[in-house]
Amino acid sequence: MPMSDFLEAENEEMALEQLHDMGCTDGLPVVIPTQERVVRCILATGLDGDMVLGELGPGMGIATVEKVATAAVMAGCKSDYMPLVIAAVKAAAKPEFDLSELQATTHCTAPLIIVNGPARETCGPVASGYGALGPGHRANASIGRALRLCLINIGGGRPGISDMAIHGHPGKFTYCLAEAEEESPFPPMHTSLGFDETDSVVTLLGCEAPHSCLYSDNADDPEDAEKLLKILSVGLTNIATNNAVFASGMALVCLGPKHANVLARSGHSRESIQQRLWELTHLLKADHIRYGGEFGKAFRDNPEGTYPAFKVPQHILVMVAGGVGLYSMVMPNWGGAGHQNSAVSVQVESDFFCAIPGLGGA
Amino acid sequence: MVSLITEDFWDQGQFVAKSLGMPNVPRVKLPHPVAGLGEAKIEIIAASIIEEILNSFANE
Repeated sequence: MPMSDFLEAENEEMALEQLHDMGCTDGLPVVIPTQERVVRCILATGLDGDMVLGELGPGMGIATVEKVATAAVMAGCKSDYMPLVIAAVKAAAKPEFDLSELQATTHCTAPLIIVNGPARETCGPVASGYGALGPGHRANASIGRALRLCLINIGGGRPGISDMAIHGHPGKFTYCLAEAEEESPFPPMHTSLGFDETDSVVTLLGCEAPHSCLYSDNADDPEDAEKLLKILSVGLTNIATNNAVFASGMALVCLGPKHANVLARSGHSRESIQQRLWELTHLLKADHIRYGGEFGKAFRDNPEGTYPAFKVPQHILVMVAGGVGLYSMVMPNWGGAGHQNSAVSVQVESDFFCAIPGLGGA
Repeated sequence: MVSLITEDFWDQGQFVAKSLGMPNVPRVKLPHPVAGLGEAKIEIIAASIIEEILNSFANE
């Protein structure tokens, strides 16, 4: 159903049931996207409602500002969040994101939205600290959900019909956080991706649910950083992961601030962390042959030694977020499709955004 | 061209064919799943659908 179709219902309760019945929700209640609410949200963007942001597969629906605003209203977004939602949709629509394949695959991948730069506050606040990937943060919850509703209602991704994920994962409801730039000992992640520090950037990575990595650091241990990197590499890649079996794709290492400081005080930069993690995620070809099934044929003619799970170190993204403690997170990804499940970064444009009194909770 | 689609993916095949503007692309249905069945069972499946595949090509 095009999201800009008009539906009629006697009241909002019946409208909600209608949207559920039509498969237009994520299974949870939504804010009813009345014409007034959607128009007010579009107005706040300063953009034309019929402006095309991109095409979303596999249904190849056209994502206009109006349709994206409809999803944002349904998701419970404040109009302040729209520049981030729009940037996320633009990223998803980039051909190199391989959205059609990402939506259709049997793998559980979901688009994770990472926010860098001033928009973390001006279009949020998007949480980056304790429980940033959990409940209780309106911007994180609703921005990620708005993208999901776009993927359902514009992209046509519906479980068992066009979204064939065998299990899916909870991040398919919402999956969004900001980098904890102020707590990070490293320059912001987007500066490593070619942007200026003052830019606001959304990076989209299709990836698995976050996996926790425990490391109890010890400042007196000269091998502290190396041990931490080994732990992260084990969490990041083993012969059960797509990255290891496909030997492709990207992944995210989300360092807790404590772990980031362990690495920084040993002299590591983001680039040297990526390099060392890449080296530590070289795996035995013998294991690939033995456990890789049909994929294990890749090394049968040359079975000695190791192979890299990631083609280059830059395919391991490194960011800092979370509270202060003994944990970091890793998110492997799928590694399939024409662009091997690449991350895509888009600059957030808020120049046209209008702060309209009374629209904060629209 | 003939697409081979397993039973569980039939609806997805219909959806994608339609969205790509090829609603009538020839398709042949396979049981699900076919991965990991081993050669003997794959040969049985192949034998059961070969005629349908050839007919689809012939009708193109």
